[in-house]
Amino acid sequence: MGGVLSTYPLQAAAAIRASLADRTNFLLQMGGMAVNNGFFLALWVLFFAGFRSVGGWGAADMALLLGLIMTIVGISGVAFGGYRDMAGTILSGEIDALLTQPKPVLGRLLSRDSLPSAWGDLVVGLVILVGFGRLSWVQAPLALGALACGLVVYLSAATAFASLAFWARGARSFARDLTDFLILFSSYPGSIFSGASKLVVYTLMPAGFIVLAPVRLLRAPGLGAAGVVVGAAVVYALITLAVFQLGLARYRRGLTPTSG
Amino acid sequence: MSAVITVQTLTKQYRYARRRTGALGAITGAFAPDFQTIEAVAGVSFEIAAGERVAIIGPNGAGKSTTLKMLSGVLEPSSGQARVFGLVPWRERRALAYRIGVVFGQRSQLWGELPARDSFALLRRIYDQDETAFAARLGRLVEQFGLGELLDQPVSRMSLGQRMRCEITASLLHGPDLLFLDEPTIGLDITAKAAIRDFITEHARGQGQTVVLTSHDTRDIELVCDRVIVINQGRIVVDQPTDQLRRQFLARKRVTLQSAAPRITLDLPGLTVLPSQPHTSVLDVDTRLVRVEQVIAAALAGGGIEDITIEDPPMEEVVREIYLATTGA
Repeated sequence: MGGVLSTYPLQAAAAIRASLADRTNFLLQMGGMAVNNGFFLALWVLFFAGFRSVGGWGAADMALLLGLIMTIVGISGVAFGGYRDMAGTILSGEIDALLTQPKPVLGRLLSRDSLPSAWGDLVVGLVILVGFGRLSWVQAPLALGALACGLVVYLSAATAFASLAFWARGARSFARDLTDFLILFSSYPGSIFSGASKLVVYTLMPAGFIVLAPVRLLRAPGLGAAGVVVGAAVVYALITLAVFQLGLARYRRGLTPTSG
Repeated sequence: MSAVITVQTLTKQYRYARRRTGALGAITGAFAPDFQTIEAVAGVSFEIAAGERVAIIGPNGAGKSTTLKMLSGVLEPSSGQARVFGLVPWRERRALAYRIGVVFGQRSQLWGELPARDSFALLRRIYDQDETAFAARLGRLVEQFGLGELLDQPVSRMSLGQRMRCEITASLLHGPDLLFLDEPTIGLDITAKAAIRDFITEHARGQGQTVVLTSHDTRDIELVCDRVIVINQGRIVVDQPTDQLRRQFLARKRVTLQSAAPRITLDLPGLTVLPSQPHTSVLDVDTRLVRVEQVIAAALAGGGIEDITIEDPPMEEVVREIYLATTGA
């Protein structure tokens, strides 16, 4: 664990520097994502111009939710950008080189890339959180904690999806699709989920623990709500580590259908 | 000398689902896959002593890379035993990583968009290297490998040969005692290949380093290694000093002549004319009986030569010849 903590920031910083190498590409991708998020927000602004709330969720609550998911996706892409095509990295056999080095493979995989477009998510997400999320500065530590836990759940789920590549050749696009669904599910108010869909967003597609539980914690702080948010982060992280290790063991037994 | 690598009846089997033809086959295959097992490495045993430079050669799919991956801890074997510096590679992978350097010819351990210098600095942290010792080692390697002008250049803008020099340098920065090179000259031009071979040989001799190399190129083996292990279909066919192998099996060249005349006829010993298109003559030259320059001189003396190519016979042919000679098949 110490090995990861000592080298991860350096590797992530290197990935960020690499993403900045082509300035034009960086600015285009970042700007493009910011505009894309802007259009998405505009739809909600238009909606709230006509309605006061949706299933009990007002404009500020939606701003908090959207600010959280955009910031989470932004931080993930900037500092852990390797998650986005981790399945592709596994399937191409590129982790062979990482397996000959002494540091844990998962950290190397997450830090091998930084996505320029993620800066667009991060900037817009922070602006929404600070400007429209109706949070006071006193809530800043709690908001940071909730954000961190949501980030852990999001990255854990995305990593678990990517780990499917250890079992199936077609997992590259499937893992991406699942992660995109996860972002989509995390962009809607909790009140639209009920019955089976609610079960899904609190298990396989844990949008409930990425944004819904953190929003509840920030709106109605309490030990119970905090326990749910922190507990979910711990449980999802542990499950993902177990899945990844199982998959890696399978890879090392030569059972993963790589192209390398 | 003490053995750095000990391998006993090492085996690796891969299982894969055989694809069936047609739509019905695809559907039944999805629910009841027809699994096939192939033996990539079939019970190989050998020892490599400290300071030896050993080539593992063989045709595509012979089991060379799989053997290297098991010895470097990437893959677990199906059965058998191996120890590298007394460590079981697949169980003590991280401890072993500090003592070995690995280069996979078609994989990179460098950050493509960053200058090589930045990748090297990161590798120092990954291998927990002391800054002073690292700087001294990097300085020596940069001088030895002529990397001065490349250090501040992004790796993605380097030629393949330049990138490979940086890859090998990266694998040596933590001062490993053993270097695994999987196809280090693949895709390189002649000059770049020569530079890589010189560097590996010079560095390994100077440091007393053990080198295990896989290659498709017989020149890599002749110029870099003092011992050759030939693998075919997962089994060791030959394990002998390079000099001996060279005398027996690496004494042939392939000379291709493009000519105005439909066919070139040369009356020299040691020449075998291989089937080819009109205006192209492909000659198999046994260099124990005739020198290549004698063949070229004779061809030029006849006139009408438009182009000449000199190559080593393909590895597949060399291995087939070795296999036939050793098994008597």
